[in-house]
Amino acid sequence: MKALNPLLAASLLAASAASAAPLKIGVINSMTGPEAPIGENLTNGIKLAQEDLAKAGIAVELVWEDDTGKPQIALSAIEKLATRDGVAGVVGPYTSSSANAVAKMAERYKVPLLVPAAAKEEITRQGYKYVFRMNAPANVYGSVIIDAVLSVGKPQTIAFIYENTDFGTSTSKTAKEYAQKKGLKLVADEAYSKGTPDYRSMLSQVKVANPDLIFMVSYVADAILLMRQARELQLAPQAFLGGGAGFTTTEFAAEKAINDQVLTSTQWTENVSWPGAKDFFDRYKARFGKEPTYHAACAYASMRVMAETANKAGGDREKTREALRGGAWDGILGPVKFEDYDGFTNQNHHPMLVEQIQAGKFETVYPPTFAAKKIAYPPAKK
Amino acid sequence: MLVLLQSVLSGILIGGIYALMGIGLTLIFGVMRIINFAQGELAMVGMYLTFFLFKLAGVDPFVSVLLVMPALFLLGAVLQRTLIDRALDALPQNQILLTIGIGLVLSNLAMLLFTSDYRLLSTSYSSSSVPFAGVHLSTPLLYCFAITLAITAALYWFLRKTETGCAIRATAQDRDAAQLMGIDVRRMGLISFGLGAALAGAAGALISPTYYIYPQVGSAFTLKAFVVVVLGGMGSVVGATLGGVLIGTAESLSAAYLGSGTKELCVYVIFLLVLLFRPAGILGKSRT
Repeated sequence: MKALNPLLAASLLAASAASAAPLKIGVINSMTGPEAPIGENLTNGIKLAQEDLAKAGIAVELVWEDDTGKPQIALSAIEKLATRDGVAGVVGPYTSSSANAVAKMAERYKVPLLVPAAAKEEITRQGYKYVFRMNAPANVYGSVIIDAVLSVGKPQTIAFIYENTDFGTSTSKTAKEYAQKKGLKLVADEAYSKGTPDYRSMLSQVKVANPDLIFMVSYVADAILLMRQARELQLAPQAFLGGGAGFTTTEFAAEKAINDQVLTSTQWTENVSWPGAKDFFDRYKARFGKEPTYHAACAYASMRVMAETANKAGGDREKTREALRGGAWDGILGPVKFEDYDGFTNQNHHPMLVEQIQAGKFETVYPPTFAAKKIAYPPAKK
Repeated sequence: MLVLLQSVLSGILIGGIYALMGIGLTLIFGVMRIINFAQGELAMVGMYLTFFLFKLAGVDPFVSVLLVMPALFLLGAVLQRTLIDRALDALPQNQILLTIGIGLVLSNLAMLLFTSDYRLLSTSYSSSSVPFAGVHLSTPLLYCFAITLAITAALYWFLRKTETGCAIRATAQDRDAAQLMGIDVRRMGLISFGLGAALAGAAGALISPTYYIYPQVGSAFTLKAFVVVVLGGMGSVVGATLGGVLIGTAESLSAAYLGSGTKELCVYVIFLLVLLFRPAGILGKSRT
């Protein structure tokens, strides 16, 4: 009997260790590289989610992969996560190019993938069964902000300036169609390749077209560079519209000389009426010493949903996928449900918001049900 | 018409930076017959120096040129003495590999130290401009151009009028003959590599208030400097100045009239055409 005891104890220990083996979830994110300033938001959002999950009794082991913003690196990351690390699901990647590439592999390896903040529509438009998306796709970036402007002013013409990448072209393509449907005349359409020090000649071409609205889609550094050079050339439309990404960062908010009254579409703000939004903002700021962007909130919500679902499914990929499809959640990103509509599959029908920089601070201005402030908009030119 | 004027003027201003990069490269090539493919990375080092001088000590980027240039001269001199000098008689492809290697080490070192995040240097005048004949000229770029002109003029004077300058030119013309005349050609190599590095650093410092800084920023500049030098004629300082302004203007005009995505294309088409029809460059003398 005495000899049996240690054995029993050992087997008991092993059993409890097996059941307490933490749930493994993969994360692919742009932690270094040009997209890193935004990637940092996703990283922190996910870390906060991990801590909150632990408090709720769900121990999650995260396997971090850095794609440095490059699709080819993201591809090897998903392969590693799916085959070697044996994760229950993957949250990420951040950029549209990476997410689109990874989606195909997730489908092939049958790993549930939850894309937190990539905008390219195709990601959830290819009928993939294992690919889910938390944020609203690119077409909403344009439509919500154009609706916002039309609710306060009567602009006639619009110009588009965008980076010639997946995110830039797909966001502006649908925005262009929507603008024209709403009766706005497209007077300039400029795609640029990022990383050049001088956008002045392109911007002066836009200036000659004298648009009422200028819609820009750019990542961090170019958003600031473009706005700087636009101010320098004294480009003065009725409003500058930014399509998310670079226009929602704290770096952009810090550039007070150039950012006043710039409008941007966003997935989330801290003063929206969704449960826990303000609390998330405060805790994030206290924990990381920075204000979160919408990316942080999307990543947080995605990790919560993925981990809770995978936990219930016991880490089984197939069951996790089924549960993601059937479930409904409510959190800092509002109600979440993955649905099929308008050719999208497993897409959360997320309502987007519009925020405006007023005196150096982001204020939610649209839609009225969630708005904290009114849109500042110049009276129509005679 | 305004677009044309704006494009040409912005192009010339940006071209000044390219010229500065090119002059450094051409100087090094002239004296040592080595193409320094680490030129852009040296400019990157200059950018980071400027950035941290501004962030930590509040030194204005245009003032920091005075600090960055000596620092880069020193770095260049050390690189020359320890690495480049040993490869002077090696095969050209070995020399190219050596300088590319130096560039890779520099950019990866920067990535290790500063991560690959983009950094922006925002001064009070970063987005200000001066109105001129109906167009607007960027204030920081105007400062930058004025300083570029001053540096180029000073360099020209140095090469023409001082004894060391004459010795450098003599070494560039004929290394063996210069040595026979009692010129310390190794020392000339040291000075010109140091100067080349200092010019790259100056270009980096000058562009930092209007651009962004990241470890891989150098490679784009190396390539451009190389195009500028070949365009102007290998070894010709005036040619490099002309080449820089030409490339800047070509970029700007093609961005305005053919779309921003085509500007690189236009630059390299011009480059290829020059190689086809004037292989020695606009002001170069054929050395065959």
